[in-house]
Amino acid sequence: MTQTSRVKNLTASVAHIDVPPPKLQWMGHSMQWGTRVTKGEHGLRLGDLNVGIYGEIPQHWEDQSRRPRGAADLPGMPPLPYHLRSKHQVWADSAADLYEEAIQHRWIPATDIPWNALSPLPDDVERAVCQVLTELMQAANAELECITYWQEQMSYGYHEVKQLLAVTALTCARHIDAFRKRCLANGGGLGLESRGRMNRAILESRGGWTEAVVYVYVLRGFYIQNQYRFLLAHAHNAAERVIFAHCLADHARHMTYALDHLKYAINQQDGQRAVIQTLLSIGERTMAREMEEPVQRSALAVVFGGGIEGGRQEGMATWHALVRSAIHEYLDACEWLGVKRNMIHRRLNALLPSDEQLKPPARD
Amino acid sequence: MAAFPSVEWFNAVRERYNSDETLHTGGGGPCEAKAALCIGDHIYLLEFEGFECAEIRQIDRNDIDHVDFCLDMPLYEWVDMVNNIQQHGEADLHHTLSTMDLELEEGLARAPGDDQYKMDLFYRYNQNFQDFFNASAGVPTTITVMD
Repeated sequence: MTQTSRVKNLTASVAHIDVPPPKLQWMGHSMQWGTRVTKGEHGLRLGDLNVGIYGEIPQHWEDQSRRPRGAADLPGMPPLPYHLRSKHQVWADSAADLYEEAIQHRWIPATDIPWNALSPLPDDVERAVCQVLTELMQAANAELECITYWQEQMSYGYHEVKQLLAVTALTCARHIDAFRKRCLANGGGLGLESRGRMNRAILESRGGWTEAVVYVYVLRGFYIQNQYRFLLAHAHNAAERVIFAHCLADHARHMTYALDHLKYAINQQDGQRAVIQTLLSIGERTMAREMEEPVQRSALAVVFGGGIEGGRQEGMATWHALVRSAIHEYLDACEWLGVKRNMIHRRLNALLPSDEQLKPPARD
Repeated sequence: MAAFPSVEWFNAVRERYNSDETLHTGGGGPCEAKAALCIGDHIYLLEFEGFECAEIRQIDRNDIDHVDFCLDMPLYEWVDMVNNIQQHGEADLHHTLSTMDLELEEGLARAPGDDQYKMDLFYRYNQNFQDFFNASAGVPTTITVMD
């Protein structure tokens, strides 16, 4: 029997059944009907939708269902494990705008990178580039896993943040993709796995999203950001230049959310500033040990110095400048957040280079 | 032929940048930022709105507090950057905004009041601003170097 004849038989067998008229009672359920948001100069953006009740963002969201903010609730829905239901645990005023920026500043590693611009590099430099990217890949993966772990626990009351973090996770995946492609497209391959001290600290942080943000972005974020800046300045070809320029812009967006969220959390939650201060005191030691790791340090120095020989002095001087910049930006951010760091961990302090270490080598 | 630095020169760059989407390599996304360009004795406000550079005008030093970030470097560095872009069609690696920010003793970008949030805009929109300056490669330019 063919499919068509089966349907005909079925239709004939149920033709006598009296189907009651639909009640369509669901049509009467809306918290606010007649809403007509119009697009502005830059289109219809997520933040533009926050009108009337749809723009009421509560301090605490009791609902543990998947009910979108502003939708009518269905009684009897069983609770789901949305543990982050207070605004101070997730919120940043910039979230909706950053979401729009993230989805519009998109790039495709497969086609937007001028891969044809790659050309053979000296073996030591190619190995160093691949090593650096192997570790950055792991860092991006830790960021991605951390975000997705917490994002699924965030209530739908703060959908702007949930959406932003979904795109942020995608951006991390894009970075991993681009780094892997760069490693495998120029005669090299992946390097040595990172010891991953900070990756472990980030992934094992279970205190809450705000605490995770401290680890991912405040403690390590500036180190990552400065690696992108310095790698962009030392790009060997247009492909690397495009990769690191995009990564820098993407990562800065992630940092903006992080700092905005922490500022909000500190202002809204008693004791949050002290909690962050404690986390930094604990985390600085781990971060310092990560920066001290000889593999990434020497690989970066070889990249900056243009080879093993140049890496010894010029490359190391540049690495010291990178570390100094990262630590100073970290301290500036702490000051901006109002979190005192008068006594940073001695190992981190020891990484601040002397003037001698920052001197480029004398040339003959 | 427009003289650098001048409002006329920046407007010529603005027109070229706004009218040619192929010059927008920074992901094609919008940019919302106001930057003050401190060039010698003059300060220019460069304002991006959405997908284009909306405005260029001269401002006073008192107005700097109202911008998101400043790009400030000695006049000869600005001239060097513009010359480099003219010669190569875009900034080479030593003359990008990002590299100059790293290599100049005092850096290039700073946010009024050391506002971290505003400072991040420099990194977030770095490519938009770089694309803008790279667009100057197609603008016939004379350099007016002031002592």
